[in-house]
Amino acid sequence: MDRAGAGESMKMKSALFSIIFWLAWLLASLAPPAHGAATVSTAHATVTLLSEQPQATPGQTLWLGLRFELIPHWHVYWRNPGASGAAPVIRWTLPDGWTAGDLHWPVPQRIRVGPLTNYGYEEAVTLLAPVRIPAGPLPAGPLTLTADAEWLVCRVECIPESGRLTLELPHPGSLTWDPATQHLFAAARAQWPEADRVSGRYRLAGDARTITLEVPGLVVDDRAEVWFAAYEWGPVDPSGAQSRQPTAEGLALRVPAGDLPPAGDAALDGLLVVETPNGGAPARRGYAVRLEAQPATTGASEPLGLLAALGFAFLGGLILNVMPCVLPVLGIKVLGFVREAGANQRRRVGHGLSYGAGILLSFLALAAILLLLRAGGASLGWGFQLQSPVLVALLAYLMLLVGLNLSGVFTVGAGLMGAGQALTAGSGLFNTFATGVLAAVVASPCTAPFMGTALGFALTRPASEALAVFLALGVGFALPVVLLSLWPAQVRWLPKPGPWMKGFQQAVAFPLYATAAWLLWVLSQQTDARAYGAALVGLVAVALAAWLYGQWQPRGWRLGLLGAAVTVVLLLLLRPVAGPDVAAPARADPEHLAWSETRVRELTAAGRPMFVNFTAAWCITCQVNERVALATENTRRLFADRAVAYLVADWTRRDPVIARQLERHGRSGVPLYLWYAPGSETPVVLPPLLTEGIIAEALQSH
Amino acid sequence: MLPAFFHVFLITLAFVAGSAIAAPRVGEPAPDFTGVDTQGKTHRLADYRGKTVVLEWTNHDCPYVRKHYGAGNLQEQQREAAAQGVIWLSVISSAPGQQGYVSPAEADELTRSRKAAPHAVLLDPEGRIGRAYEAKTTPHLFIIDEAGKLVYMGGIDSLATADPADIPKATQYVRVALKERAAGQPISAPVTRPYGCSVKY
Repeated sequence: MDRAGAGESMKMKSALFSIIFWLAWLLASLAPPAHGAATVSTAHATVTLLSEQPQATPGQTLWLGLRFELIPHWHVYWRNPGASGAAPVIRWTLPDGWTAGDLHWPVPQRIRVGPLTNYGYEEAVTLLAPVRIPAGPLPAGPLTLTADAEWLVCRVECIPESGRLTLELPHPGSLTWDPATQHLFAAARAQWPEADRVSGRYRLAGDARTITLEVPGLVVDDRAEVWFAAYEWGPVDPSGAQSRQPTAEGLALRVPAGDLPPAGDAALDGLLVVETPNGGAPARRGYAVRLEAQPATTGASEPLGLLAALGFAFLGGLILNVMPCVLPVLGIKVLGFVREAGANQRRRVGHGLSYGAGILLSFLALAAILLLLRAGGASLGWGFQLQSPVLVALLAYLMLLVGLNLSGVFTVGAGLMGAGQALTAGSGLFNTFATGVLAAVVASPCTAPFMGTALGFALTRPASEALAVFLALGVGFALPVVLLSLWPAQVRWLPKPGPWMKGFQQAVAFPLYATAAWLLWVLSQQTDARAYGAALVGLVAVALAAWLYGQWQPRGWRLGLLGAAVTVVLLLLLRPVAGPDVAAPARADPEHLAWSETRVRELTAAGRPMFVNFTAAWCITCQVNERVALATENTRRLFADRAVAYLVADWTRRDPVIARQLERHGRSGVPLYLWYAPGSETPVVLPPLLTEGIIAEALQSH
Repeated sequence: MLPAFFHVFLITLAFVAGSAIAAPRVGEPAPDFTGVDTQGKTHRLADYRGKTVVLEWTNHDCPYVRKHYGAGNLQEQQREAAAQGVIWLSVISSAPGQQGYVSPAEADELTRSRKAAPHAVLLDPEGRIGRAYEAKTTPHLFIIDEAGKLVYMGGIDSLATADPADIPKATQYVRVALKERAAGQPISAPVTRPYGCSVKY
C-alpha cells in the first residue's frame, strides 16, 4: 500500500469512528431532559433509570436500577473489568439528605478477547443501588433523581459513552407498581452473588505467582467450571488459567497472581463463580467470598513447582529401592535375575520391562485411587493403606506367606497366578510383573521426606499433574532393576547360580519375617488386644495352611478346597480386627500432650512455646527422628528449660483433622514438625529429617 | 546435611521452573525483545543497556489513547523523556485486521500528525513483544532501568476514565517515576492498574 492510500484508509476509518461516536453523543444529548426522561439510547446501548417503587417513602430504602440493554456482541463491565475495560460509573444527584449506597452487581461472565479476559455483561444487565430516604416530611412537589452515568461499551473495540438520566417521583401518571419494573428488579436480585454462604482462606505461593484458595463447604458438580474474580484490580490475573481440586472440606482453586499480589495478611475479597453446563449457556452461580490470608509455608514444605516435584518424585522413587520394606522384594527380584542370567537376553529384558510396567501401573492405580478418593471427599494421605488395620493384617499375612515360601515350607506351581506366587521369582513374565506390583504396594509406608512433599503437591494439584508425579515416582523406583535387565554387562556382576542359592533364598526370608513383625507392631498400635490376638491366631492359621499346602502339593486337586477353607478361616479371624476404632495406646513417653487444634489455641493464648510432632507408628522416618532427635536427653532438657509444650499428633489411624493440618502445611504424610514461638500463631516448619541441632537452632532463633 | 542439600536443590529447581514461564515482575530482569520499527530498523532491549527505556503500548483508535494523545499528554511526556536521555518506544501489537493495526507509513503519519516524539515506534503485529510483557491495555506502560530491570508497569495515570478533562487531576505515574529515578529515589508507585482498551492481539 502506498503512502497516500494508507492515509486515505486511515482517514476513512477515523471518519467512520467519528460518525459513530458523534451519533452516540447526539442520541445521548438529544434525549428529552424533562419529565420521565429515564432512558438514554446510544448506538450500542439503551440505558434506563428505574425506580422500584413509584413513590418515595420517608425513612425507607428506595431501590434504583440502571438497566443496560446492549446490541448483540457488545458488553459493559463488572465492578472489576478484568484485564482491560472500565466499570460503569454513576454519579447521583438526589434530593437533600438522600444517600445512595454502593452498586449491587450481578454475577458477571468472563469475556475473552485474544489472550485477555474481562468480566462483564452481554445483552442486558441491571445494576441496583439502595437509596436511603431520611425520615421526616418529603420536600413538596415532584422529586427529581438524576444519574450521570459513564460506561464503556466494547465488542473488541471500545466506545466510552455517557448519559444523564433523570427520573421523577412520584411517577407522573401512575402510583401503582409497574409489574414489568418489578420483574426487572427481581431478576437483577436473582443474579446477585450469594453473600455469607462461603468463606475460606488463601495462600500466596513463595514465588508470589500463584494463589491457592481454599473454600471449605463448597461442593460442586464435577462438570462445573469454577473461577474466582477479585473485586479489585491487582491481586489476581483475570486472564490466566485457574484450576480446581476438590479437598476434604470443599474445594481448592489455584489462580495466577496479578500484578499486585495480595500483600501480608490482607483478606482477599471477590466472587467465586460456579458455571454448570446446562445445554446452551451455562447456569452461573456466584458466591461473594472473603478469603483470609493464610501464612505461606516455610522451609522444606515450600510449595513445589511441577518440575521440582517431578524431580523429587523421581529421586524419591530411586531411594525407595533401598528402603527397608522394599529391599527384601528387590532381593527376590535379584534372585530372579540370578536364575535367569543363563537364559536368553530377550527374556531378561522382558523381565526388566514387565517389572517396570508392574511398578508403573501400580503407581498409576494408586494415583487413580487417590484421585478418586480425593474426589469423593475422603481426607487421606499417603499412609492411608497402612491406616486400615485389616490391610495391615493382610499385608503381614502376605509377608509371612512369602517368607514361608522362601524358607521352603511350600513351593508354588509355575502355572498359578497371583501376587504371592510372583514372589517365588518364577520364570513367567507375569510373575515379574506381579513382583513390580508388590514392590509398589510394599513401598507405600516408606514415605521418604521429599516424597511426602511431592505427594503433598500431587494432592493439591490437578489430576494430570498428580498422575505425572506418581509416574515420576514409579520411574525412579523401577529404573535400577530395569537398567539391570537392559544392560547384560551389569547382570554379569551378579553372582553365578549355584547350590548357595537355596541358602540365600532362605536367608532372604528373614527380612520378610521382619517386615511381618513390623506390620504386626503397627497393628498393635491400631487395635485392641482382642483384635490383635485374632490377627496373631490368623498368622498361625496362615502358617498351617502354607504347611498343609506344601505337604499335599503333589495332589493338586485338593488345593482349591484347601484354599477356600483357609480363606474362610482368615476372613472369620479378621472380623474383630475390623471392629470399632480404638484409640492408639499412649506412648511410653510421659512428657507429651496429645495434639488438638483447641490445645494449640489455648497454649498460644497462654504464650507457651510449642513443639508439635505429627507422627505415626508405621512411619519409620518418624521413629528414627524420635530416637535420634526428640527422645534424647539434650532435647528433653531443652524443652524443659524453655517450658516448651511437646504435643504429639498421632496419625497411626486415620484422622481427618490431622490430615487437614498436614495438607495445610503442604504435606500428605508424616512426619511434620512445627515449632510455635511463644505467643505466635504461625508455626515454623522444621525439616522432615530432624537432628538435635536443628531443634536447638529453631528454639534459639526465637 | 541431607535436608539442607535437598532444600537448596528444591529451591533451585522451583526457581528454574518458575522463571521459564514467568510474567514480567517489577524488580526482575525485563523480558528481552527484538522489534522492528517503522523505518525497518531493528531494536533490541539489550542494545539499550545503560539507558532507561519506556515501552508504551498504543492503538490510535482506542478512545483512551485518543484521550491522552488528543490532549497532548503523551507527546509532552515523550519529549520530557527524550530530554532526560530516556529511550521511549511506542509499541503497536494490534494484529492485522484488528483495530489499531497500521502499516509503517501509517504509523509515521500518526506520529507526524499527532506531533508525537517517541524514540521509535515498534510494529509488533504478531504480538511477540506484547505477550512477553503481557501488555493488556492501550495505553500500558513499562519502565526498564539501565541494568535491564523492570522498574515500573501499569497505567499512564491514576484516573481511569476516557475524559481528557481528568488528565490534569491525575497523577502521571510515568512522569513521576522518571522524576523519582532521576533524583535517585525509589519509585513510589511501581505497579499500578493499566487502564484502557484491550490490546488487539
